[in-house]
Amino acid sequence: MSEVKSVPRTEASADAVKRESPGGSFLRQRLQQSLAFGTLIVLLAFFSLASGNFFTWTNISGILLSTAVIGILAFGTTLVIITSGIDLSIGTGMTLCSVVTGLLLVNLQLPLFIGVLGGIATGALMGLINGLNVSILKLPPFIATLAMMLIAQGLALVLSGVRPIYFSKVQGFKDIALGQLIPGLPNAVLILVLTGIAAYLVLGKTLLGRYIFAIGSNEEATKISGVNTGKWKILVYTVAGIFTGVAGVVIAARLDSAQPQLGSGYELQAIAAVIIGGTSLLGGRGSVLGTLIGALIMSVLINGLRIMSVQTEWQTVVVGIVILVAVFTDSLRRRREA
Amino acid sequence: MKLGKKALAAGVLAAALSLTACGGSGSATPSGGGDGGTPYVAMISKGFQHQFWQAVKKGAEDKAKELNVKITFEGPAAETEVDSQLQMLQAAIDKKPTAIAYAALDPEACVPAIEQAKAANIPVVQFDAGCKSDYPVNLAKTNSMDAGAMAADHMAELIGKSGEIAVVGHSQINSTGVERRDGFLNEMKAKYPDIKVVDVQYGDGDHLKSADIAKAMIQGHPNLKGLYGTNEGSAVGIVNAVTELGLKPGKLTVIGFDSGKAQLDAIRSGLMAGAITQDPIGMGAATVQAAIDASKGKSMPKVTDTPFYWYDKTNMDDAKIAAVLYQ
Amino acid sequence: MLPAVVQIHEYRPQGTSVISEEVGETVGEPLLKVEGISKSFPGVQALSDVHFDVNKGEVIALVGENGAGKSSLMKILSGIYQKDAGTIYLEGVPVQIDGPRHAQELGIIIVHQEMNLMSHLTVAQNIYIGREPRRLGGLLLDEKKLNRQTAELLGRLGIKEFAPTDLVENLTVAKQQMVEIAKALSFDAKVVIMDEPTSALTTSETETLFRLIGDLRDRGVGVIYISHRMEELKRITDRITILRDGKYIATMDTATASQHEVIKLMVGREIDENARPENVRRDNVDDVVLRVENLSTRKLLKDVSFELRRGEILGFSGLMGAGRTELARAIIGADRMTEGRIFVNGKEVKIGQPADAVKHGIGYLSEDRKSLGLLLDRDVNTNILLSSLGNYTNPVGFMKAGSGKGTSQKYIDSLRIKTPSMFATTKNLSGGNQQKVVIAKWLARDCDILIFDEPTRGIDIGAKEEIYRLLNDLVARGKSIIMISSELPEVLRLSHRIMVMAGGRITGEIDSDGADQAKIMDYATRVEQQGAEK
Repeated sequence: MSEVKSVPRTEASADAVKRESPGGSFLRQRLQQSLAFGTLIVLLAFFSLASGNFFTWTNISGILLSTAVIGILAFGTTLVIITSGIDLSIGTGMTLCSVVTGLLLVNLQLPLFIGVLGGIATGALMGLINGLNVSILKLPPFIATLAMMLIAQGLALVLSGVRPIYFSKVQGFKDIALGQLIPGLPNAVLILVLTGIAAYLVLGKTLLGRYIFAIGSNEEATKISGVNTGKWKILVYTVAGIFTGVAGVVIAARLDSAQPQLGSGYELQAIAAVIIGGTSLLGGRGSVLGTLIGALIMSVLINGLRIMSVQTEWQTVVVGIVILVAVFTDSLRRRREA
Repeated sequence: MKLGKKALAAGVLAAALSLTACGGSGSATPSGGGDGGTPYVAMISKGFQHQFWQAVKKGAEDKAKELNVKITFEGPAAETEVDSQLQMLQAAIDKKPTAIAYAALDPEACVPAIEQAKAANIPVVQFDAGCKSDYPVNLAKTNSMDAGAMAADHMAELIGKSGEIAVVGHSQINSTGVERRDGFLNEMKAKYPDIKVVDVQYGDGDHLKSADIAKAMIQGHPNLKGLYGTNEGSAVGIVNAVTELGLKPGKLTVIGFDSGKAQLDAIRSGLMAGAITQDPIGMGAATVQAAIDASKGKSMPKVTDTPFYWYDKTNMDDAKIAAVLYQ
Repeated sequence: MLPAVVQIHEYRPQGTSVISEEVGETVGEPLLKVEGISKSFPGVQALSDVHFDVNKGEVIALVGENGAGKSSLMKILSGIYQKDAGTIYLEGVPVQIDGPRHAQELGIIIVHQEMNLMSHLTVAQNIYIGREPRRLGGLLLDEKKLNRQTAELLGRLGIKEFAPTDLVENLTVAKQQMVEIAKALSFDAKVVIMDEPTSALTTSETETLFRLIGDLRDRGVGVIYISHRMEELKRITDRITILRDGKYIATMDTATASQHEVIKLMVGREIDENARPENVRRDNVDDVVLRVENLSTRKLLKDVSFELRRGEILGFSGLMGAGRTELARAIIGADRMTEGRIFVNGKEVKIGQPADAVKHGIGYLSEDRKSLGLLLDRDVNTNILLSSLGNYTNPVGFMKAGSGKGTSQKYIDSLRIKTPSMFATTKNLSGGNQQKVVIAKWLARDCDILIFDEPTRGIDIGAKEEIYRLLNDLVARGKSIIMISSELPEVLRLSHRIMVMAGGRITGEIDSDGADQAKIMDYATRVEQQGAEK
């Protein structure tokens, strides 16, 4: 009986997807897998109808800009979550990276690219330590990265002297996020797209990506197939750390300052985006495109509610409900398929 | 081997928990009170990460040096952590200091702890926000309602007493957030009937979140003439939004609160019309003075109003104003 | 206790056989030889001083009861475990196998019994995991080449059941098993180890496998074949090596070995294979206590109907993946059924979750005792009372001090659970005694209908007999039992009636009087005909 009901709905959403992406079969296949995409379209349509101020280029570019930081963090976390791990250190870790960039550029007055690379390297280092803790010390990822979350939060405060670091004197730093190499589109959005492509390539086209799925699918089997899973897990966390570092540079450039008290809570938003995008917390399943859609759902939703002047308290409630619904429908669909 | 790993994991967890529990402490002065007769004042603040509290701390430390007093200054990691702040207060009482200076995060939750201080015969003074108890001798605070009203008056003046405005608040719970908002809204309602407040939203003082909120507000209300941010993060967020949208300076009147380098720069460049500042350094100094006076049994008023000022491009370099602004 | 009979291939101490100059050329030098292998785990001597060998182009059977040490030996050969003592010679050269990868490099390939596939990856990705073809200087995966070489491999092996790009999670258990085999054969193998490879295969798939094994043999590969099915051993193996209790027992030529002899050596004493339940009392079997009508699930089960009578042991037989465990899970409400009705004692019941099943007196004893049936880290007492805690708590939910101990002791005594005390940690008990603890748990909960899923898996032979006795005891006392078992002799010996499943359906019902292995296997492989009819 429930089967009968489910059929037309699935077809309808598949049709919607087809209409939206007449292009390659690959895209269609991926998008069909994700009810999240349908949700995104519905949200966009709803807010466009509800407020005439929503569907303007300025606002859309604003939405994309506000997706940048969470989106970049979420890409890195997607890789970790597909291995059935978790990384809680990305939020405060991002802050530590921006503080390090600040120290290099403002306090030491080093060239711009060194500051940027320094921030990214800090992220990589944190990821490396996370990976070593998970792989070598065999700490559960939750604990290892929780510890790193606190360490990064503390270090960000210590290194900055509990004061924001301002980049106003650093030529061109702000442009990393807010300049427009493509007119009308802030660079942060460009970086979001580029990191997305990078994450997509890593996941879909490289050995690392293959082993990310393999480990998440069945770590023991991967190991006895002769793959050094420990080594690859270290690499996964390190790569995720690089994404954290990039997010740190982007947020610093956007705020033109490193705000050491920021960052806590960003990890949960990023994880929510990953989950909404259809990546399984149990591992083995997920996609970068899904994560991008998940992050967009979050920022479209929040932006739309703000434009409609919905009370902040209720905005939070609505976001919570959307996460529940998105994840539930997704698991429902999987159960049907199974 | 297995045991070792478990123990290690447990150790990390314990460390993590204890870190969370104390949130973080401003200055690590050894525990234990009044050694060698030097008076010791334990200050429990609402936070320590924010620039405002750092300035209070600086004022307190300078005053302490002057009076030859030892102080500790600590506060929770976030201004929502009522419970961990109470644990800090409890720990301070146990150290038997000469006096305690306290800024209540929650006016009710602190009452039992203050009663304990009373039982232990430790004088208590308060700063920034008070606890609903009769025991504390003095409260040094800024009248945030009045400060909010002052912001409203300046906003009304600058936009010609009519049009749409909106507020980016930093908290709908914490007393300074509530009072700065209500003082502003009440004044608008009472005095400027032609001004309409179209939206009030909250960004937790997070610069990025506040910027996104301000952008959505500007987007959603194309006729918006003014925006008011109730603390440094909210105000700087509004400024970021204006910059990112590429609005011409002056198209939107932005009024902020507190100081900090980004806000000062914005006022100098004309992106922000002006802001209200308290005197955190003065508050810190007054609090330490009151604590020492209280320990000597001097009588003093229940509430000391610490000053607040309007500052803009024209007066921000005056000696009196410049002294209370922090970078 | 047992005279080591028919030791056709005498154990020859190594000292005398010098490593040949012309490795692999020397006639009589085995392809793979192990000597004096020992391995112990905390509390268990899994292997002691085991030796055996396999020649080029030879298929050798390795047989033994559960716990005889076959798995440990295979894991040592494939690099998953490290041996404590002994030597492994490959083509006459002593080798130290450091890990799975090293074993692969040496050409020792294992087809695992339990599924060791990455279900979210495709067939091709699984087969070449760790050996992915790459392009752009190793930077990117070469998916095209991967799929091409997989297609070639499958073509060479004559496997048409799935394509390289199929997701493994969408394949049936049998096809997954074929993927495992294809993966093993994709290596340049010298020695291939197959651990009960046919347990999930249908007849035609088994034929494909045998053909593959024939190919391997012709190419000079040595095959170690682990199986319980004597007919299979007769068909494809050259020699049979028997292990028991972690020790080498004997090796014999398949051609001359009798089934009876092999089983006797495996078990260590005379076993009457055709023994019937000693105390099946037919007069005891009366009313229908459980009736299942037209039960279907979304995934597998189709239109399953049967009746269980009081005092009866109803055997469920079938290949892996036939749907027996799924049926049990659907009955107890662990999986949702899309259609069907369940009657207990004539009254229809709604079972939405396992707690409902327990309420109606149905207890399920999982195949996977360790993860689903027991709290291994807790004591025996806790485990026995786990399902009936409500009887021993006060209204607020606190345990009444000391309550329930009487119950625990009663079952420890009556089921003869060997434990130092009721407060001993359950994981320290032997497999058989752990199984008894699970049984006690359900008896303590007053369950009258017990569903046993592979009740003797992982239990040594002596304890098995005791479990059999216990099952007979239980039905004699008016309990009713559904017994899911993959061991045909067990099903034949204990069941009053046997239901055979295949492809999610019941394909046959056999009364124990007329039952034999051939009949069961006939029904168990009917899935294909059914598929063809459609």
